[in-house]
Amino acid sequence: MKLLNRLFVLVFLLGVGFACTDLEEELTADFSEGFTPQNPGFGESANTNMALPADGLNAAYNALGIGTANHFGYFSAAGLPSDEITIAQKGGDWFDGGVLINLHVHDFRSTNPILNNTWAGLYGGIFQCNDVLASGLNAQQTAEVRAVRAVLYWKLMDMWGNIKLLTTPGADVPQGTRAEAFAFIESEALAAIPDLPVARTYGRFNQSVAYALLARLYLNAPVYLDGTTTNPTTGNSFYQDAIDAADAVINSGLYDLDANFYEGADGRMISAVYAPDNVNNIEHIYAFPYDEATGGGMNFAQMTLHYPSQLTYDLQQQPWNGYASLEEFYNSYAAGDKRKEAYFITGPQKDINGNPILDVAFDQNDPDGAEINYTPAINELFPNSSRQAGARMGKFAFKAGQLPDMDNDYPIFRYGELLLVKAEALCRLNGDWANAEAWGLVNQVRARAGLAAEASPSESTFFAERGREVFQEALRRTDLIRFGKWGDAWWEKAAHSDTYKNLMPIPNDQINASGGTLSQNPGY
Amino acid sequence: MKKYLLVMLSFCVLSFSWAQGRTVTGKVTDAESGETIPGANIVEKGTSNGTITDFDGNYSISVGDGATLVVSFVGYQAQEVSVGAMGVVDVQLALDVQSLAEVVVVGYGTQDKKEITSAVVSIDEESFNVGNINNPAELLQGKVPGLSVYNKGGDPNSSGTIRLRGISTVGSNTEPLVVIDGVIGASLDNVDPNDIESVNVLKDGSAAAIYGSRGSSGVILVTTKRGKRNAGVSATYNGFVAAATMLNTLPTLSAQEYIAAGGNDLGSETDWLGAVTQTGISNVHNIAVSGGSGSTTYRLATNFRDVNGILNNSGFDQVNARANISHFAMNDKLKIDFNMSMTNRESNFSFTEALRYATLYNPTAPVTFDNGEYFQAILFDNFNPVAIVEQNQNVGKRKNLNFNVQGEYSILDELSVTVNYGQQYTNNFNGQFYPSTSFFRGLNRGGLASRYMDDSRFELVETYATYNNTFGDINLTVSGGYSFQESFFESLNVSLGNLPTNDLGFYGIDLSGDRVLGIASNVGIDANASPEERIIAFFGRVNMTFDDAIFFNASVRREGSTKLGADNRWGIFPAVSAGVDLNNYLGVDALSQLKLRVGYGVTGSLPALSGQAQDAYTYDFAGGGTVNFARAGNPDLKWEEKAEINVGVDFGLMGGRLTGAVDVYQRTISDFILNRQVDPGVYGASLRYENVGELQTVGAELSLGFDAVQNSDFTWNTGVVLSTYETTLNAFTNDVFTLANLGAPGQNGTNMIRVAVGEEIGQIWGPRFEGVAENGAPTFADLNGDGNVVADPGAALADDADFEVLGNGLPSLELGWTNRINYKNFDFNAFFRGAFGHSLVNTWRAFYEPIDGGAINSYNRVVSDKAVDGLTAAQYSSLYVEKADFLRLDNVTLGYTFDVSDIAAFKNVRLYANVQNAFVITGYSGLDPDPSLQDFGPTGNGGFASGSPDVLSPGIDRRNAYFTARTFTFGINLGF
Repeated sequence: MKLLNRLFVLVFLLGVGFACTDLEEELTADFSEGFTPQNPGFGESANTNMALPADGLNAAYNALGIGTANHFGYFSAAGLPSDEITIAQKGGDWFDGGVLINLHVHDFRSTNPILNNTWAGLYGGIFQCNDVLASGLNAQQTAEVRAVRAVLYWKLMDMWGNIKLLTTPGADVPQGTRAEAFAFIESEALAAIPDLPVARTYGRFNQSVAYALLARLYLNAPVYLDGTTTNPTTGNSFYQDAIDAADAVINSGLYDLDANFYEGADGRMISAVYAPDNVNNIEHIYAFPYDEATGGGMNFAQMTLHYPSQLTYDLQQQPWNGYASLEEFYNSYAAGDKRKEAYFITGPQKDINGNPILDVAFDQNDPDGAEINYTPAINELFPNSSRQAGARMGKFAFKAGQLPDMDNDYPIFRYGELLLVKAEALCRLNGDWANAEAWGLVNQVRARAGLAAEASPSESTFFAERGREVFQEALRRTDLIRFGKWGDAWWEKAAHSDTYKNLMPIPNDQINASGGTLSQNPGY
Repeated sequence: MKKYLLVMLSFCVLSFSWAQGRTVTGKVTDAESGETIPGANIVEKGTSNGTITDFDGNYSISVGDGATLVVSFVGYQAQEVSVGAMGVVDVQLALDVQSLAEVVVVGYGTQDKKEITSAVVSIDEESFNVGNINNPAELLQGKVPGLSVYNKGGDPNSSGTIRLRGISTVGSNTEPLVVIDGVIGASLDNVDPNDIESVNVLKDGSAAAIYGSRGSSGVILVTTKRGKRNAGVSATYNGFVAAATMLNTLPTLSAQEYIAAGGNDLGSETDWLGAVTQTGISNVHNIAVSGGSGSTTYRLATNFRDVNGILNNSGFDQVNARANISHFAMNDKLKIDFNMSMTNRESNFSFTEALRYATLYNPTAPVTFDNGEYFQAILFDNFNPVAIVEQNQNVGKRKNLNFNVQGEYSILDELSVTVNYGQQYTNNFNGQFYPSTSFFRGLNRGGLASRYMDDSRFELVETYATYNNTFGDINLTVSGGYSFQESFFESLNVSLGNLPTNDLGFYGIDLSGDRVLGIASNVGIDANASPEERIIAFFGRVNMTFDDAIFFNASVRREGSTKLGADNRWGIFPAVSAGVDLNNYLGVDALSQLKLRVGYGVTGSLPALSGQAQDAYTYDFAGGGTVNFARAGNPDLKWEEKAEINVGVDFGLMGGRLTGAVDVYQRTISDFILNRQVDPGVYGASLRYENVGELQTVGAELSLGFDAVQNSDFTWNTGVVLSTYETTLNAFTNDVFTLANLGAPGQNGTNMIRVAVGEEIGQIWGPRFEGVAENGAPTFADLNGDGNVVADPGAALADDADFEVLGNGLPSLELGWTNRINYKNFDFNAFFRGAFGHSLVNTWRAFYEPIDGGAINSYNRVVSDKAVDGLTAAQYSSLYVEKADFLRLDNVTLGYTFDVSDIAAFKNVRLYANVQNAFVITGYSGLDPDPSLQDFGPTGNGGFASGSPDVLSPGIDRRNAYFTARTFTFGINLGF
């Protein structure tokens, strides 16, 4: 009996003694810190016959594609409040809490989820850049990532002004002013240039990209710096600095306009610059390398086409019938402008075999009837826009059997746009909107579109030309502000003189998440 | 005669005796009544030599010299008799009052009910809900004050939501901890409702604290049926056939009305709901054999369930087997329990989307074209529901295996040691298939197939010692022990399209062309393994009884978990409670009991997921090969802590005919865990698990039982349980935020729930509907009177927004009312259940009641009596928030027990008929007014539901609900 007693006590003690008090947790399916893949060569994207370098920098570069060409991110935040695109409420469809209409009519709210998503996407990218920078890079790699980060900060500064300039993962810093952000972006770009390569590498930054960023930054400097036109760093006019930066790109000889327009499978005109196979296009200074297989994030087909247009392109997923261009903007293209047909989808739509597409759910009040016909006119912004109304965004052409993620690369800095940056800087520097050198550049762009030289050069014709050229490239908001047209009335958007709206409200969620270190922009 | 045979049988089979020395004979009788006791246990002390008495109470045993006999029987005090020189030893056993008292299972032991000083409710088989019940939780629905069990809709493959005393946590496990026969964390999936003897619910902190870091959401202790000692062998059969029909549908337009409303006439007239629903016929059979000798008891049970729901193809086939065996050895000093159970379930989940689209599809559309192909059109979020159900497959298999062995040894009469070892395994293996011809998920990607499998393993080792002794007026029980738990979960999900044929279903997944094309977004492979999780604990408890009327309990558990940050892994969870039976001192004749109880306890709650204290990186070959930062770990993550004080009174009046209990409590949950928004620039992710706030719940519960009529052939017992609570957010990092997006089409960015510091949880928040503008848009009230109406949900939190509280998603009062009537051989049971004070957002109406010329052609119109003429734009407002108070006859049963005293083959024969959901009284216009305690968010357009439920967003009646069933059951209970 005693033996048994002891046995039980032993068992009991063993239980306690096992006493495994080890509570160390080991991750089984993830790594708890960054690692070097054993065979990064497998990671190369088959991006339509162009590979991205497996240099470990992709986490940083990928940040440039976040929200750039899809719904609910930077593209929406920069585009919807402008006069180039809108999403009209179609009865029960596309009201979405009013957040889309609010953006278009400049009723900016700190609770707008699109603004929050944009902010979070950009700062998520900045974290990735900081994380990659902290991993030990060589001089060129460091310069590349700093320049990538500067572009992300430019987007943040352009939209919100008073931002945090975070440079170390995990370390918070106080909120800075717009001027501080401007100075930081400028110095980062300048610091990066000496270590950046001159030559073009697909999907990577070279010196031209940093110069293009500087040119854009300097052109907008008076907006960012409350009217200051002299660069305190160089003592020059910002416009001269913009011209110099643009010239550094133009004179490199690496880039040119691509005048190739051709007929696509759907019978529509396609511009090669934005086509599905536009890899390494001569006009791209930097284009984000979207890829249907390995680099998702461009969803224009879903965003803009009506549901049954799935049959035109044999789309794998049903589109959403959302984004369309404003009638006035569409009509600003002259009849012979090749861009008009290449950038928009209008008129009756056919299926992949050429038969008309029927909308079985067509509105009996819709004058277009059951056969899908995209009309440039949109009857109203809300509440009951016709489902077929509005010219659709077609600049980045779709291909047959299109996947939800498109294959087209998306230019963030483009030679054609840079020519217009230089042209505008020349006009502004000289105080002359008919400056001959400037219009020489503008007319290069017009000629590429099949148009004669502009007959009546002026600020307004320049502005209109720039708008037509950079449609769907998320630059319209910045341009409207720079030209003082942000508060103008257009279509159903009323005029306002609220200059505080040149900055967006800092998202409420981010102010909450910051634990009191972010404060709201004035006016909101 | 029958009784005699059975006793003889057990005698022959299970008794054994060794011839030793001489033979002693005798008779065992009840000391009070003098009646003989058959089946009593006679053991020669210090040996394994024993026997039992026969039907007449006689025994015969061969014993050695100087033997002492130990005579025992369940419910009597054991007696030792020294044989000496006697040849005949008659023994009179006295009733053991102590053991006849109601014993309640608590953590790591049992207690007499009268000694309980915390909020513990025990529900036995007699009180369980009956009918077509396939999940143990449903046995308890409405029976336990403070325990909310809701399974909205009648999906046979869904197990519903269990919530004890409101929201106990935000970001961790909101469901109570389940302990089955001593195995912590066991799954209710592997216990058949037929095999459950009783369920005890530990409601307050002082009762649950012995379970430490997982006790915050309450503890449900399930005791399965076991054989009884000396009870012979008996067999039971319980079976039923049930028919489920739709209780309710949403009011929509007929084909004629639809055309008149501007819908396009497609030339047919289809009853879409009729085409995708059925009368769900279910068969359930339970066969059990149980028995016990003096030293061994056993119960073996098998359960067959063939269950079909009201949605075509939905249902499951299940076999469950359970074996519970106990052996008593060494003069009852050692008891060994073996419990095993296994479940094999094959489910057809079907597609609840079919019910949604059957409600919304154009009633003039044909099911198929003349050529036999399905009518399918490209519409947003609308698909031919018949095609969905018939073309596609959504099935799964689940296997559960549980085993535990527990040994309990009495070292001394006062001291026992228990060791428990258990394992639990669960496998799931599911398949989905969508052919290339299915517009729902299969179109334009060459079909879609997916396979999902997971495996989870759980192991438990627990050992504890219990010391019990009496010192004068003081009875003292002290226990202490150690617990080690380890679990591991792994899963694999593969989904691929581009299938060369639709003929092989998901078995053809390996032929997928996506493997060659390599489209990353189409090649779905997700392998997951959660880090091995361990919980280690040391615990101790003291129970003291003074004067048999004053009771004191205290416990403490020190527990650690791998899921937490390195410096915060260990926590201490203490509890103390006391009670006094006042009537022991007051001596009021009218009172049979008046016990006052006060308890305080601290419990915890762990993060739902492992690994949240550590950063995680993943690798993505896309985009040139990317090491991605995937998760922002929180190295300071710690357990949530709930401190709860509970004050209760148990009372009995009229000689115990009227009994009741009242409990009031306050629970404060601090450092609650939430995946909260953080600065993405600093942390690299927008969300991170943090301990960020404090919740407080105050509540009260009442239960009353009354034996209204007690005649020899007519009895009526009635009982009421009532509960109420309110949860407030005391602190959070944000002062106010909104949740629960309404969704597509057209109502994204529309959060319907507001959560604010210092205010009640569950607020449904929105603009107040006022009327219809000329253009068909709704107009809203200028609530703040500033002359400017800001009612866009995207501006809900703006300073100038005209929003208000439109209701609360949580009920303010929950009611269960039981009536049990026996008349001669008839038994009748009627159970009413109600909830009051809660509202629901009827999202069906919010999307499909206001309809414009375009939308009427995409969706049929939902037209309740609350529809507003002329409204064409769907925009969320008070118009769609409805009071959902209800009272329903939840469960009604009529049974008849046959007199089988003349039939040797049967011990017991009973037939019954039952209706679940007989009727519902409510003003709610939706499908089911049951509260919706949590929200899974919107899904639509063929998308897959994702994510974990949001408990801060109650009150949202989503469109993906399975329709509620009314079920008729006819059953039989047989005893052999």
